[in-house]
Amino acid sequence: MEIIDGRKIAAEIREELSQRIGKLKEKGVTPGLAAILVGEDTASLSYLRSIARGCEKVGMLMETVELPKNITQEELDKQIGELNQDPKFHGIILQLPLPKHLDTLRAESAISPDKDIDGTNPVNTGKLLLGEETFLPSTPRGVQELLIRSGHSPEGQHVVICGRSNIVGKPLMGILMQKRKGANATVTVCHTGTKDLPSITRQADILVAAMGKAKAITADMIKEGAIVIDVGVNQIEDPATGKFKLVGDVDFEAVKEKAGAITPVPGGTGPVTSAMLMINTVKSAERTNK
Amino acid sequence: MAKILDGKKLSTEIRDELKQDIKSLKEKGIIPGLAGILVGDDEGSATYVRLKEKAGEALGIHSEAVRLSKDTTEEHLLQEIDRLNFDSEIHGIFIQLPLPEHIDENKALNAILPEKDVDGFHPMNVGKAWLGQEAFLPATPDGIREILVRYGYSNLKDKHAVIVSTDNLVGKPLASILVQEGVGANVTLCHSSTPNLSDYTRQADILVVSVNKAKFITASMVKEGVIAIDFGANYIENPADSTKKKLVGDIDFEGVKEKAEAITPVPGGVGPMTITMLLCSTVKAAKIMSHRQS
Repeated sequence: MEIIDGRKIAAEIREELSQRIGKLKEKGVTPGLAAILVGEDTASLSYLRSIARGCEKVGMLMETVELPKNITQEELDKQIGELNQDPKFHGIILQLPLPKHLDTLRAESAISPDKDIDGTNPVNTGKLLLGEETFLPSTPRGVQELLIRSGHSPEGQHVVICGRSNIVGKPLMGILMQKRKGANATVTVCHTGTKDLPSITRQADILVAAMGKAKAITADMIKEGAIVIDVGVNQIEDPATGKFKLVGDVDFEAVKEKAGAITPVPGGTGPVTSAMLMINTVKSAERTNK
Repeated sequence: MAKILDGKKLSTEIRDELKQDIKSLKEKGIIPGLAGILVGDDEGSATYVRLKEKAGEALGIHSEAVRLSKDTTEEHLLQEIDRLNFDSEIHGIFIQLPLPEHIDENKALNAILPEKDVDGFHPMNVGKAWLGQEAFLPATPDGIREILVRYGYSNLKDKHAVIVSTDNLVGKPLASILVQEGVGANVTLCHSSTPNLSDYTRQADILVVSVNKAKFITASMVKEGVIAIDFGANYIENPADSTKKKLVGDIDFEGVKEKAEAITPVPGGVGPMTITMLLCSTVKAAKIMSHRQS
């Protein structure tokens, strides 16, 4: 059984990126990423800090624009508009969830498609599905990259995705079903209401868990030798110590005995997701400075 | 013996309902307008455009066909699209595909205002539909959805839908309709070249096929009680009359109907629904625009 090391893969990607960033810097361009955070949320802040550290390592600019939680939609639109115009930034991400009084889709649609490096503007979602050139959302794109780089290409495989969210399940289906290299899979998307879920998950050559439910995928739900990718991030209390710890949607200890390869949580898909944000920001900077 | 999902009959029903909608719009002074753009002289495409035009007129939709020669430049086509985008009498615009090779199809489709894109091919509409937002849907998957709903298959939560087609016209947008939260199914998207395809098709509670391979899906490839939807159109030799070709679908109708709970025939299944759904979208576009103005 093989543990797929997301941190190592992310480091490889950053290494490759350093070269591209070096070339941009020769032209006097530093790729810049702006993150918008509405309200104070410690989990979001620590996530954005980890992205900032990654950017710093490769010489990219990253700034978090912190906005008050009672900001109006109009003010948020205006802030996004200013970032759209700011030549310092080649990529803009909007940290979710937003406070309830704000319309997420409207805010995402306000990000210029050319700077929408996390592919959340519906125009970019549409292009993804149609197979046109666009920025692909970082989490599902990271899953694809992790599979390819660990030598488990999804081509011709049956990929079963548990969870049909707009940020993971649906775009991942859209990416992996395209007729092209590194994709071309037969894809099934399941949800929590799926009748007899194990009968579907046991068919998976590649199983992607993205339902946001701690240890929901157990050993009896996978087939021998399956590749298991865990996108879940759940905080649970360790009964022995009373401390909180991070676990995925997969029961790692039991499943790893049966799987052909598996990603750990933390240290699996997470670091690759951040690396994808960086790749897309660099790509955007390269486009505007051809 | 399976229930026959009669698209022709449904289509007539829906067009009757549309007449009422159009009548009430007219009382408010609004005549829904649909413009179709045809480039070149392909006979099949010309027929389609004429059929859509006539069907619209029969319901009282203002129909306009813009026929351009096959050597029309991309620039000229984009100008025509723009003219229609700004024409307040036109609520829906479609481009009859395929376009001649010297024209970038994506560029043309993306030039249509999303609010008038009644074929639902603009990335903005594709993206919104995928995200579960209100959007115009392409006519074929929209017609399949309508057939399912009108025959009582609207809650698909515990169903497994298997789609054999991954193209932009049918497979992808249909997945986007069926995968949504709430009433959506478990969805598997297969290519016609998926290894061990029958392993998947045999699991299907709802099976949708659009690969244009005559009688590609046989009875042994489906399970007892399947709801089988066929959007194939294949002309094969007619054993009864060698001078005429016969139209068949991608599903072996005679064989599969013995096992299915419900099945669409070819012809008379999904086909007749497509133009009707285009007209529905045009009326919807006119309603939305009239709300905005009032």
